[in-house]
Amino acid sequence: MTSGGLEAGGQIPGFIVKKIEKEVYEIFIGPQHPGSGHMRIIVRLDGDIIVEADPDIGYVHRTMEKLSEVREWLKPIPLLERMTIIDACNVTLPYVNALEKLMDKKPSTRASYLRVLLCEINRVASHLYGMGIFGVFIGHSTMYMWAFGDREVFLELAEALTGARLTHTYPIPGGVRRDMPQELPGMARRAVRYMRRRLEEYRKIFVDNPVIVKRLSGVGVISKSRAVELGIVGPNLRASGVKYDVRIAEPYEVYGELDFEIPVFEEGDALARTWVRVEEIKQSLNIIEQAVNWLETHKGEPVIAKEDFDKLPKLHKEVYEREGRVKFVPAHATMKIPAGKAVARGEMGRGEIFYYVESDGGITPYRVRVVTPSARNAIVFKHVVPGHTLMDLPAIYGSIDYFPPESDR
Amino acid sequence: MILDPILYLIAYPPLWQVLILGFLGSLAVAMVAIWFERKAAARVQRRIGPYWASPALGGFLNIIADMVRYVLQQLIIPGTVDRLTFYVAPIAAFIVSILPVIFIPLSSRPEFWPVASMDYSLLIALALSTLPPLLIIAAGWSSNNKFAVIGSMRESYVITAYELVAVVSILSASAATLTFNLVHIVDAQQPFKWLIILNPIAFLAAVLAVLMSTSAFPFEIPESEHEVVAGPYTEYSGALYAFNMGGAYVRRFVYALIIALVFLGGWAPYVPGPGPITGYVIPSIIVVLKALIIVLFISFLRAVYGRYRLDQALGAAWRLAIPLAIVGFGWSLLLAYIGVFH
Amino acid sequence: MPPKISLKKLDRRGGLFEGVKSNIHTLALGVKYLVDPQRSTLLYPKEYIEHRPGYRGFIIFIKDKCISCAACARICPSAAMKMVRVTEIDPKHPDKPRQKQYPVINYQRCIFCGFCVDVCPTEALYHVPFHDIVYENLADMFLSLEMFQVEPQRPATSEGLPVVYEVDEIKGLVKRRKS
Repeated sequence: MTSGGLEAGGQIPGFIVKKIEKEVYEIFIGPQHPGSGHMRIIVRLDGDIIVEADPDIGYVHRTMEKLSEVREWLKPIPLLERMTIIDACNVTLPYVNALEKLMDKKPSTRASYLRVLLCEINRVASHLYGMGIFGVFIGHSTMYMWAFGDREVFLELAEALTGARLTHTYPIPGGVRRDMPQELPGMARRAVRYMRRRLEEYRKIFVDNPVIVKRLSGVGVISKSRAVELGIVGPNLRASGVKYDVRIAEPYEVYGELDFEIPVFEEGDALARTWVRVEEIKQSLNIIEQAVNWLETHKGEPVIAKEDFDKLPKLHKEVYEREGRVKFVPAHATMKIPAGKAVARGEMGRGEIFYYVESDGGITPYRVRVVTPSARNAIVFKHVVPGHTLMDLPAIYGSIDYFPPESDR
Repeated sequence: MILDPILYLIAYPPLWQVLILGFLGSLAVAMVAIWFERKAAARVQRRIGPYWASPALGGFLNIIADMVRYVLQQLIIPGTVDRLTFYVAPIAAFIVSILPVIFIPLSSRPEFWPVASMDYSLLIALALSTLPPLLIIAAGWSSNNKFAVIGSMRESYVITAYELVAVVSILSASAATLTFNLVHIVDAQQPFKWLIILNPIAFLAAVLAVLMSTSAFPFEIPESEHEVVAGPYTEYSGALYAFNMGGAYVRRFVYALIIALVFLGGWAPYVPGPGPITGYVIPSIIVVLKALIIVLFISFLRAVYGRYRLDQALGAAWRLAIPLAIVGFGWSLLLAYIGVFH
Repeated sequence: MPPKISLKKLDRRGGLFEGVKSNIHTLALGVKYLVDPQRSTLLYPKEYIEHRPGYRGFIIFIKDKCISCAACARICPSAAMKMVRVTEIDPKHPDKPRQKQYPVINYQRCIFCGFCVDVCPTEALYHVPFHDIVYENLADMFLSLEMFQVEPQRPATSEGLPVVYEVDEIKGLVKRRKS
């Protein structure tokens, strides 16, 4: 690029040339700032009013799509879950679903229920994480500690189910890696009852707290048409009155058979977004209850596809009987997947996640494309924040539950 | 005798009051307040809080360790600051925060007053207590940092909003008791005619003003971490930061002392007798305990409230607190008209 | 029953009375927890968690079961496991030393996904239910074949007491001393 281009108003690729305006105060919030997360928001202020907000993302870009192309089919699973480590099952499940479509394999129903169980445990944990961060963003440290403390209950459930608190690596093509342990249904029911009671206390100290209500209502309002236009997803979309949830629009696993509601609010402000999360936690608790009830009454089926299970060697079946652990066969390490293209999507805690997986018949994916919900919600900074005061920025940031590592992939 | 002036200097009552009660006392209270704030927040948040430094004392030594760390920490002065103001402002703010203590009597016996006359003590104490925010603004401005400047601007907005509330609501005691003399105000409330009972509206307004002036939750706006890092104190480190942070607690304590005298009846229902023990020690302990209750209550609020937005806090001050203070003042006039105290 | 959409409305109650009421609710709840905190903090070096048997912690190698198939090294997603070639003496033919391959692990890279344990056709690898081990330098995290076979000593066991966490209906996570 020549300098002539610049003078003519052109741009150097990757750089933004901006005229300096008088009486506009530019502050860089992030990447080293207590309220930014792994990103930078370039905010231009006129007095106390934000006239422009520029989300500068990409600080935690880890080339996950490219890395997936050089790893054998199974290996991207533990990699991709590091994208949103707090929502690990939800983020890897569509990838596994895409592989299953390519392999023309169907998981057993028991595996589907187990996946749904873990997904909902993850969703509760993820929403609690989001609410906790939100709380501390607007100065409510108790909400932060409570949410993180209660998230621990659900991590405990996930740990009992999968053996790891966060990086579960649970779904694999054709099923899941472990069966439910004996004590899990009891634990899950106690956790569900506990959490229902706690949500009531959350309401008293946070969601109905007069300071918080005052702080959040009417802030960051996204109307229904605006939400559709911006293409935001997940709870943020449903807080604006759009009745859309992948679990209902295109039911995957056993979501079509479960009895739950998709809470939708019409106000579209930060308070409504908080309420959507609270209501979704309630619904997730319902799903967890239904899933463990089903799993308790329908024993006997293996947790991977029947045809795979029958092919397992004797030792593997013994281990499964003894520990409920599904062992791979060494061929899994270098398995080939028929050439083809598949897409799959799922509803994460933060919204819709989309995978495009292409195979050329080799031992690694030809292409893995991920569109994460946070990547689609990042646009809110650019288009919704201007016009608010500087103190509303953390309120909007927290209420859209933006998670930079997920957006940057 | 040569010893006389030395003895007089050592026993000089204002010096005693500033050094013992003012500096050491408010330092101790600040430490207790910080410890309580951390411990109470930890309990509400289902944590343990400070613990390992001294498990038997509930981790109280942790606060002392923090202080030692602040004092010994390297002082980082950015190259772009206005040096003189940057050094002087926090120290001056701390000293000015303590100064009102000279005009706060802790006993009705004149021999234990820090200054000879207490006639206008309430007015002077109030006037002095409104000075430190100006120095905080200076500190923020001299930092030459955008976050510090925004923090300072917020501080200045908040000052204009709460100052009137603080002055009017606390002076409503004068309106009721017809005096600016803190000793007379306390004596008028003997034994249980406390203004908190007779005029709760003014008390509420005064507490609101203290919350705002010392940036306690839910009005922790100038230092709001998630937009402006640490507000006016962003560039400060080490001992200078400790002065800034400690200054807020000292101010809170001084305000609490004034409120304890004016609204909670000071040393009432106790009547100071002759001699240093009954005349000074016991009444001062009563006053400090009453002040401590207010300080600890303010500390507890951190655990249950978030922070208001700047415009909402200013709105609360102008629309709610100032009318409240004026109503409280009117109520005091009514009390004076009825003659409750005379 | 299939899932359904449910449209909800924000409960925006205004008014002085509601404001005072919700303030009192908030403060009362704060005081409740101030009096009865219901903590579940782990006082770490003095206590340590005894995880469930299925916990995916450090990986231990049983050399006698290994058939040198290298499946573990191939499936490892982070290339933490490598095969090393060793010369050893076969008890049946003591005069003829033989070459064999065994896995070693690099804990700088390991992500504890447990793929190696699950892929091993002879169960020659297993997890121990903890992973709070401290190494003094990075080189130590590259375990030798001998180190890979011994169960590491948990540092917390020397001064701490084992506890287990249970999910309770009232208090959430409850810490219980293990006798």
